[in-house]
Amino acid sequence: MNVQVENHDKVLVAKVEGRVDSSNSQDFERQLQGAIGEDVQAVVIDLGQLAYISSAGLRVVLLVAKTLGQRNVSISLCALSDPVQSVFEISGFNRIIQIYDSQADALAAAG
Amino acid sequence: MSATLQLRIPNRIEELPGVSEAVEALGQEERWAQDVTYAIVLGLEEVATNVVRHGGGEPGSSEIEIEVTSSDDEVRIEVRDGGRAFDPFHEAPEPDLDAGVQERQIGGLGVHFVKVLMDETSYSREGGRNHVTMVKRRS
Repeated sequence: MNVQVENHDKVLVAKVEGRVDSSNSQDFERQLQGAIGEDVQAVVIDLGQLAYISSAGLRVVLLVAKTLGQRNVSISLCALSDPVQSVFEISGFNRIIQIYDSQADALAAAG
Repeated sequence: MSATLQLRIPNRIEELPGVSEAVEALGQEERWAQDVTYAIVLGLEEVATNVVRHGGGEPGSSEIEIEVTSSDDEVRIEVRDGGRAFDPFHEAPEPDLDAGVQERQIGGLGVHFVKVLMDETSYSREGGRNHVTMVKRRS
């Protein structure tokens, strides 16, 4: 698992690659929380290269969404593969966090 | 035709990626569909993580036995451990799927995945050991 960060003005894009499971979810949380600076206005988490995520990883996404929500920073996800999309649907997270088909769509909405 | 994978691992989270790898290799050999493989790897990780986190006892102090049997029409997954009695399908909290971001609690999501993604689930306590069975049909 690896998180790569790009800044598009005040929008932070975090690209997550590989697998997020119970063995590395704490590292995922550290990398993601550590990447989000004070002056960020929106966060887009690009899951296009995420092969696998379990409830341990979803817990981290929810924690980050809660933290950002308290700071009035918007959060969205994009480019989910079919199996990852279905995990987000089963969890109901697709109803509380915006999901876009592509990073371009997410950036357009965040900008 | 059927193939069986048997694993015996210490009750440590660090052991679980190796289990996922072995199950994915079996899935490739047995030509499971992508969503079937995802469901099985996920179900096993969620159940085994629960055993490690909630079974009691120090990490590495007991063993978890895993058996995955792939046949033409279904995959049967059995997990046995000697931790404290715990029926994940009835004792884990139900997630509130309608709560907003700030109100939403995370507990119970792993077991919820298992219930939704598997076709059959059961729990029994046998000879002082927990025994969880999950069945995923291949079509």
